Amino acid sequence: MNLKNDLSDTELLRSMLAGDDEALTLLYRRRQAGVYRFALQMSGSKPIAEDVTQEVFLFLMREGHVFDPTRGSLSAFLFGVARNFVLRRLRVEQLLAPLNDESDEEIPSLHATADLCPLEDLTRAETIDSVRKAVLSLPAKYREVVVLCELQDVSYGETAEILGCAIGTVRSRLHRARALLLAKLRPVGEFEEAGSASVKSARCFA
Amino acid sequence: MNCQKFETVVSELARGQMMAAALRGEALAHIDACDDCALRFRDEQMLTRGLHSLAAEMDSLEAPAMIEANVLMAFRARNAVVPAPVPQRRSHSAYWLAAVAAMLLLAISVFVFRWTNRPVADPRNAGNQEEPQRKSQPVEQATPQFANNVPVPEDEFVPQRRKPRRMQPASLSRPANNQVANHVTNEIATDFIPLSYMNAASLQDGGQIVRVQLPRSALVNFGLPVNMDRYNEKVKADVLFGVDGTARAIRFVQ
Repeated sequence: MNLKNDLSDTELLRSMLAGDDEALTLLYRRRQAGVYRFALQMSGSKPIAEDVTQEVFLFLMREGHVFDPTRGSLSAFLFGVARNFVLRRLRVEQLLAPLNDESDEEIPSLHATADLCPLEDLTRAETIDSVRKAVLSLPAKYREVVVLCELQDVSYGETAEILGCAIGTVRSRLHRARALLLAKLRPVGEFEEAGSASVKSARCFA
Repeated sequence: MNCQKFETVVSELARGQMMAAALRGEALAHIDACDDCALRFRDEQMLTRGLHSLAAEMDSLEAPAMIEANVLMAFRARNAVVPAPVPQRRSHSAYWLAAVAAMLLLAISVFVFRWTNRPVADPRNAGNQEEPQRKSQPVEQATPQFANNVPVPEDEFVPQRRKPRRMQPASLSRPANNQVANHVTNEIATDFIPLSYMNAASLQDGGQIVRVQLPRSALVNFGLPVNMDRYNEKVKADVLFGVDGTARAIRFVQ
């Protein structure tokens, strides 16, 4: 087992496909946390995240030969598979976009007061909870970019590979996603003020 | 830097992404000069901090151990199932082997059946059973010899039917003026005369004899004498066609 710890993901995958369950164990332990967190952050549901994690590795077991190391890392490949499973599952369970601008559910604001240091006014747990809900309320195409680039710390390039789009698309989606998050996390009064400010800015840009 | 350009880099700046030093300097200078952009930058920083906090909180999360057990169980079950196709492949090959063997057996049976029921050209090989039949025919008893007293070779016995049969090469190498008696119809016939530069062995493949009538002058072409008194009469001939349909030899019948 110790010797195999030094093996790359691709080598472990090859051994796994040859029937080595030790290689599967190592590969699973190396990659399961990222897949699980990605699924959890995308769905907000532990059962879905657990199911998706299991399905991703079962898929790797069955279709692992389709992985091409020249096209990207195994980690990116697993994220891509997990993304497809999550989106399919959410589509089935109609859990997509339960929270949006018209949603009745209130998203705790980062700006509890008009103080310049609003985070100090909130407990850490509240802050994290508000951010989590805001992320979950994003449309899927923005949510996945935030989850990958901000929460999973995946590079723009790998994110582009996972999503099958250009790096520029990733950048623009992330920019748009952050703007949406800020809008959701901003208190109502300030949001309106900021909204008029943004309109003003837009006019200036024009 | 103006506000529009600052908007394009504010996210990268707040996230601490790498960017050109000059661009970064310009952006920071713009923050000092523009209150709106400073507020915007502060919001972006807060969002970045919030996201980092969320990521840090979830950083320790892992899939339950039950998932690993399930995956490993499925993997072992799958690997245990993997040898299954081998016997299946064996059964496939066994099936094909059985099919080929059956076809071979059938072919051999057909060959043996045809061999045992093939026409017997040589009466010597016909055995004792055919001998009484031949003896019972009065024609066969009557003319065992040719008109010119040349003994009839036994291997030149012409069977009654005109179905394809194997020709003996010896009959082609014999002189053309030798005549053969047909025991069935009481006819006298010459030996077969080759019509082309063929190898006698090529007639081993068999052929078909067709009875035709030719002008008597055709005898001249084969070096046979012609009775000028009967010049206008036709003469009968048997033409031997090979399996390819070409005329191989001819014999004249009287």
